[in-house]
Amino acid sequence: MASYALFLGCTIPARQPQYEIAARKALAKLGIELIDLENMTCCAPPPVKSIDLETGLAISAYNICLAEESDLDILTLCVGCFESLAMANNLLKENQQLRKRINQILSNVGKEFKGTIEVKHYLGVLLNDVGVEKIRQNLVKPLSKLKVAAFSGCHLLRPSELLRFDDPERPRVFDTLIETLGAKSIPYKNKLRCCGGPLRGYADDIALAITRDKIVNAYNAGADCISTLCPFCFLTLDLGQMLIKTTYKEEYNLPIIHYAELLSLSLGVEPKELALDFHKVKLDKVLEKIG
Amino acid sequence: MEEARIGVFLADSGGQLSKILDFESITEFLRGIPGVTLVQRASEFWRGYGLKTIIEAVKSGKINRVVVAEGIPKIGEIAIAKSINSAGLDLSFVEVLDLKSHCAWPHRDSPREATEKAKAMLLAAIEKVRLSQPIEKAVFPAVKAVLVIGGGVAGMQAAEDLADMGFQVYLIEKEPFLGGLAARAVRFFPTDDCAVCIQSPTSDLKTVTHTSRKCIYRSGISEIPNLQILTNSRIIKLEGEPGNFKVTIEKKPRYVNDRCVACGLCATVCPVEVPDEYNAKLTTRKAIYMNMPLVYPPIYVIDGSACKFHECAKCVEVCPTNAIDLNQKAETIILNVGSIIVATGFKEFDPSVIKEYHYGEYPDVITHLELARMIDSFGPTGGKIIRPSDKKEAKRIVFIQCVGSRDKRWNPYCSGICCMISLKHAALIKEVHPDADITICYIDIRTTGREHEYYYEKAREMGIKFVKGRPTEILHDPATNTLIVDVEDEILKRFLELEADLVVLAAAMVPSDGSEELAKILGIELDKDGFFKEYNSKLRPTETKIRGILICGGATFPKDVPTASLHAHSAAIKAAKFLNEGKIVKDLKVAYVNEEYCGDCECCPVTCPYGAISLVPSGNGHFVARVSPLKCEGCGICVGTCPVGAIELNHLTSKQISAQIKALLSVNETPKPKVLAIYCSECGGTALDSAGMTMSYPANVRALKVPCTGVIRAQHILEAFKAGAQGVMIVGCKPEGCHYEAGSQMAKKKVELTKALLAAYGIEPDRLEMFNLIYIEGDKFAEAARMMSERIEKLGPLVIA
Amino acid sequence: MIILLMAGDFVRDGGGKSNSDFIKNVKEMLGGETITSCYQCGTCASSCPVAKTTERFNPRQLLRIALLGESDEILSGDAIWLCSSCYNCQERCPQKVEIAEVIFALRNMAIRAGKIPQLYIDFANGLMNEGRVVPVSKFVEKKRADYGLPPLKPTGVEQLRKILAATGFDKLISKKG
Repeated sequence: MASYALFLGCTIPARQPQYEIAARKALAKLGIELIDLENMTCCAPPPVKSIDLETGLAISAYNICLAEESDLDILTLCVGCFESLAMANNLLKENQQLRKRINQILSNVGKEFKGTIEVKHYLGVLLNDVGVEKIRQNLVKPLSKLKVAAFSGCHLLRPSELLRFDDPERPRVFDTLIETLGAKSIPYKNKLRCCGGPLRGYADDIALAITRDKIVNAYNAGADCISTLCPFCFLTLDLGQMLIKTTYKEEYNLPIIHYAELLSLSLGVEPKELALDFHKVKLDKVLEKIG
Repeated sequence: MEEARIGVFLADSGGQLSKILDFESITEFLRGIPGVTLVQRASEFWRGYGLKTIIEAVKSGKINRVVVAEGIPKIGEIAIAKSINSAGLDLSFVEVLDLKSHCAWPHRDSPREATEKAKAMLLAAIEKVRLSQPIEKAVFPAVKAVLVIGGGVAGMQAAEDLADMGFQVYLIEKEPFLGGLAARAVRFFPTDDCAVCIQSPTSDLKTVTHTSRKCIYRSGISEIPNLQILTNSRIIKLEGEPGNFKVTIEKKPRYVNDRCVACGLCATVCPVEVPDEYNAKLTTRKAIYMNMPLVYPPIYVIDGSACKFHECAKCVEVCPTNAIDLNQKAETIILNVGSIIVATGFKEFDPSVIKEYHYGEYPDVITHLELARMIDSFGPTGGKIIRPSDKKEAKRIVFIQCVGSRDKRWNPYCSGICCMISLKHAALIKEVHPDADITICYIDIRTTGREHEYYYEKAREMGIKFVKGRPTEILHDPATNTLIVDVEDEILKRFLELEADLVVLAAAMVPSDGSEELAKILGIELDKDGFFKEYNSKLRPTETKIRGILICGGATFPKDVPTASLHAHSAAIKAAKFLNEGKIVKDLKVAYVNEEYCGDCECCPVTCPYGAISLVPSGNGHFVARVSPLKCEGCGICVGTCPVGAIELNHLTSKQISAQIKALLSVNETPKPKVLAIYCSECGGTALDSAGMTMSYPANVRALKVPCTGVIRAQHILEAFKAGAQGVMIVGCKPEGCHYEAGSQMAKKKVELTKALLAAYGIEPDRLEMFNLIYIEGDKFAEAARMMSERIEKLGPLVIA
Repeated sequence: MIILLMAGDFVRDGGGKSNSDFIKNVKEMLGGETITSCYQCGTCASSCPVAKTTERFNPRQLLRIALLGESDEILSGDAIWLCSSCYNCQERCPQKVEIAEVIFALRNMAIRAGKIPQLYIDFANGLMNEGRVVPVSKFVEKKRADYGLPPLKPTGVEQLRKILAATGFDKLISKKG
């Protein structure tokens, strides 16, 4: 069994338990062991970097050190966490000056970044370590009637020079994994564009306009649902539809569903085990299509 | 060799130098040096009466070594050398030094110390010539034949020049037809004349009456005497030396010989169709084909990778003159040439790596080359601008500039000609289709050449639109089969979605295929962008670091046709100059390897910037290094590299260096601690010259000239300290500008190594420093000299444990 | 005196003095090093989801104003806070300007100058109190057992606070804008 240090971040335990439940169940079924390390903190996403980039880098490095000490690669669920940690990991591995600078800060807590582990997103683990074949073999309910608008979010792909996860212009990993479940990953306008989430709380009107664009594009392409990897995108698109209703007087009823949830369902996990009531836009139609 | 009888001639520049330097004291000092048989003083010695004195002294046999302290040393040295040579004295026995700008002028304020230094400088010169050995002149053959690689604009111009001058020229071209990239361009800016001309270039054939000097319908390139054209050919091996190269050419089989009458019957019956590279794959051609319309040679060719040969042979059946020979084999041709000109041009960058532009995915996104083929009325679309996707006419066309150029992810440079090409194409399309809707998206419009700005003006007058903004993406609307260019018009501050039938990418111009391989075969360098590197584009254009191998045209950097033409003519002149005498006469101021001492460490061939050192077997499985006297430039980098001191320079031996170091640091009457500055004969030396002309620096800085700082070994520096220097300065060219390519960088490494050695010996490493200076930085040299003097005074006397 | 036209209808007339040290300071910030490579091609602008939605933000314009030295406008302004950090601009920039990182650096400078939106103060407080920018309420934490989730491991907030002290993060937040 492959073991990884699970990095949960903040948003998932705070507001998206359904993501964590689905991910734990699905990965367990596929033979991935998730180890919960002590003392992990926030990954240092853009809100922290906005205040101080050096602090952000140091916090990311600190979390990486915890995994290094346990000799485990990190597995993240949230793509935002993936970006913070993977960027920091690669930057510090390659830039000696920066590494020295951050290690000096880390010495205050008795830690030293050594560059011995990898930071992975669970999609990467599914593709490379588990493999599409094994996933297919374990499918109980193929999602063959489902048309999915895949939305990986920005932080899985960009900046590609540091993340090196997939081709930033023609990504295939997420679509491949959706299709492995039997579903169809449909093309739609501005598929790779940001959901607008990060502007929520500062400029809600702009954020909502960007979010609405995304919903409309996926809707117009005939999607049954939008599949997400980021808890923040999920909230933006799911909760956002409530706001679109009140602000724009438009109703799309487009279910937003994490890939981990789709994976779990297709691997045979019962919907009632997955805390699906956290979804604001109900999943009835999707569950029907899954059968 | 007979004993040295040294004559010393002191020029006092109209009595000016003697106001500072004590000439009486100097003369007395000189008379006391063993071997000095004559000391004379006059205003000048490089011409007039002064020069006559020297010549008479030489001719009379009174002296057989000459040391001249001259006020105008640079010109003086040449003049003196010419005369003394004709008087029968070998030039290695002559040393000219500059007591004016290297002594009197900069040390005006300390005449006593200046006089001391003058004595030391003269003593060093005397010791140097005392140890000199005669330097031979060698004669090398210069075959009056030239190989021109590349049959495009530049290659053809250069070949034609040289053939006209009477040289035997071999023009090889890897494609089956001449013309290169530009032939497919339809028209050339800024004159808009036909590009087809360069498929069959002009010639000054005397046998044909000319009505015009420009148009070339009367091409007789095949009839130019002394010019042999080999198409389908490439160079695979180079041996020999400049002036006498042996090149091995591989000529691919054409399968059609010169009985061909270009009737085209073969092509009509050929069953094989492949994408037509000449027409940018917009159409197909047969396995047997000819580019149209005017080509050289006017002979069909069979594409060996597509043809079915004897399985088919339909062309053989129909050929009326029996010109097809399917059994033709590749030929190996050996040529003996004196010089090689590389004119391999450039090619278009493949923009499919810029994925957001979808080149290769959306068929209606094309490059300039494809557009040019469409504009060409002889081309695959008969001059119609059509959309490859549905063959309908393209009415709305968007150009995108700087695709892959000025782009740090791909090619950071500006390709220089793409703005003009876009303006040209846009105008050509508008001329034929005035209702065409054309927009050019740009970052900057660059129209810098003669007559180029007019192109931009014309384009605006014709109603071509310009958007300042680089598009982020090209989108495709499948419902209407329209392309959408997503761009910000930064001047309007508005986001535009330009609808287009056709999007033309002004792709970058990059080095031709095979450049790396060719550079390796020839032993020349590519620059960081992959183009062939000129030795110095300001002072030595078209030259490479190997004499006799020249580069020109687009192969050195993208350029337009007039500039490529200029460049080609320049290369032709260089080749002609090189080979004109039929022989190369060279003073052997070169390095030589004492093969007994050579330890086969194999370092020197790698460090020699000119590839002048090769390894030859010495029996028992070992090799020794051997220097080619023809290729050697006499810099001494190999001397500095050799760990056992097995290599020496004819014109500056290690004994001579040691003797000069000792001499320069002797004559030490004043108590000031001495600094030895070792400077190169190129930039480093010029910094000293210019410092001396108008500035002052301390007289305790004594200077030793070497050809290149690359010759310096840690040993020399340690010798200097042992001989009494309290500080050592190394003054060389800038690292990117070393006149011998790599010498000053090597010197820098040597200095770092020696600093570590000094520290190990308990000597302060700060006593040694390297400075990289050029002529206009004389002030920096003066400052450095002052700084070093102060530093060693602060450090106190040197104690060698 | 520089007259800047912003969004077509807002004219600023010779307001703040241009600060010639500004760009030097930006380049010395972590993340700000590449700003001067910008040659204003505009690729970032048309690849920006926010710029396509509102005139209040345009990355090319933002960099332009910064490059002209208009530090007041940048640091006191609204624009730098409107970037969604989607990195699309940085991905496509032909001069490899790290635009998203530059904007982070400018935000860092704004905060040092005392201009910090309330939202970020909240994030920072979450970090210092609990080690998370989004705090996990006790209620949610207790519910985990109901979902069959293992209990949350405690965060390393003690160690985090030491890091924040070492970088001076804590002092940055005490400056309110």
